[in-house]
Amino acid sequence: MLEIPDFLGWLMDPENWQGRYGVPNLLAEHLTLTAMSIVLAALMAIPLGISIGHFRRGTAFVVLLGSVSRAIPTMGLLFALVMLLGVQLREVAVILALTAIAFPPLLAGAYAGVSAIERHIPDSAKAQGLTTWQLLWIVEIPLALPAIIGGFRVAWIQVVSTIVLAPLVGLGGLGFGIIQGLALRNFDQVVASALLIVLLTVLGDQLIGFAQKNQAFRLGNLSGGKTK
Amino acid sequence: MKNTLKIGLAALAVSTLGLSGCAQTSDAIVIGSQAYYSNEIVAEAYAQALENAGYEVERTFSLGQRDVYVPALLGGEVDLFPEYTGNLLQYFDPTATQTEANAVYDALSQALPAGLSALAMSPATDQDSYNVTQEFAQANNISSIADLANLDSVVLGGAPELAERPYGPAGLLSVYQVMVDFNATGETTVESLVAGEIDMANVYSADPRIEQLGLVTLSDPLGLFLSSNLVPIASDALDAQARDVVSAVSLAMSAEELVAMNVRSVEEQLSAAEIAADWLRSEGLIN
Repeated sequence: MLEIPDFLGWLMDPENWQGRYGVPNLLAEHLTLTAMSIVLAALMAIPLGISIGHFRRGTAFVVLLGSVSRAIPTMGLLFALVMLLGVQLREVAVILALTAIAFPPLLAGAYAGVSAIERHIPDSAKAQGLTTWQLLWIVEIPLALPAIIGGFRVAWIQVVSTIVLAPLVGLGGLGFGIIQGLALRNFDQVVASALLIVLLTVLGDQLIGFAQKNQAFRLGNLSGGKTK
Repeated sequence: MKNTLKIGLAALAVSTLGLSGCAQTSDAIVIGSQAYYSNEIVAEAYAQALENAGYEVERTFSLGQRDVYVPALLGGEVDLFPEYTGNLLQYFDPTATQTEANAVYDALSQALPAGLSALAMSPATDQDSYNVTQEFAQANNISSIADLANLDSVVLGGAPELAERPYGPAGLLSVYQVMVDFNATGETTVESLVAGEIDMANVYSADPRIEQLGLVTLSDPLGLFLSSNLVPIASDALDAQARDVVSAVSLAMSAEELVAMNVRSVEEQLSAAEIAADWLRSEGLIN
């Protein structure tokens, strides 16, 4: 018979909610590293994805990158970057490794969103006299927004769960409780930490999903039901 | 209590490892090792010495953590395993207080479950130790953990679990009255020490980098650390002659030789089999 670890007891213990490696501190670190990685990836991936979608060139590149990214061993990349940049720059190394994970889904989302717009829409917008920039800002980006947000959704799930590796290279984040707990065979702590990560992942996913649906709904109202 | 889950998880891990498939009809001695290169070299030394004595040997190396392979040892799937006295004692008896080498060995012999026995303890150790850089040791005139009590602040780095270990910050305070700030540097502990991010690092005593980087291992006069000597753990499946062969290998290995073999593994990238064979030959244990 398996007994359920007493993770609630661990979560209730005020001892685990204070200090450098207490839950609030680890959660803040987890969120900061995740946010910085996703923002950095978005700054590069979204403009690139939109331009590939707009000019409808380089599609093969998106597909290729999408497949290649699945083959990157994150842990190897993380250690290689820490060794390369040195331990003083370990935060940068972690953020870069996670940026590499967040980049492909963001690129795919932006590309798919723009390229899925039916050709006659940008064509008629151009016929109305819109410049390329106006076309982008007024027509293509708003129409692609649900798919772009979808890219954030995937990126969030991947980054927020992969960052669990950060304690291996001397950083915090909620993975600390798992990595420390496994070594100490403290399964209450492992389960409690894992639950917190799952909760955070699902919560964030639902929030972004809500924004995505909201945007799609707005577009649906504009175009009379069809969003894509 | 939690043990049921532990054993359940371990059993699951073992079965996924496919160990159950290794149960052979022949009476080959099955030797296991941890997923740790140094442990694998020692396991290889046992294996080659046994082969040299005419035994048939099956190697199932890199079995991972204790939670995974101890049940395999108890279940008779593995017959022989290189272990570390202190760490294994803590596994079977977390409340054990012995830290001195012989006391730990005796306590371990008592704590081992029926069916398993500890063969001769090796003089070679691979245990936790606190290390500082040469510059830090000279600048602050430090050679022992006790000397740290004179310093205002010491930052200790190590694996995340060190925070909770009996020899971690709490033990330093109670045994040596040394106050430390803890920084969980994980796998980057030695690099963090060299970079000056931490003052003192928890490194295994057989880690080649202590020698390579000229780190200073602080002495532990009050026995804060649990001694952890290499020791072969054998199941009842091993006959008396095989036990003698393995015990001879264990006794012959000095701490310096263990470190030297680890250095060869890291620097020359040789296989465990080559390193073990060279050492056994130099000791005259195989021909």
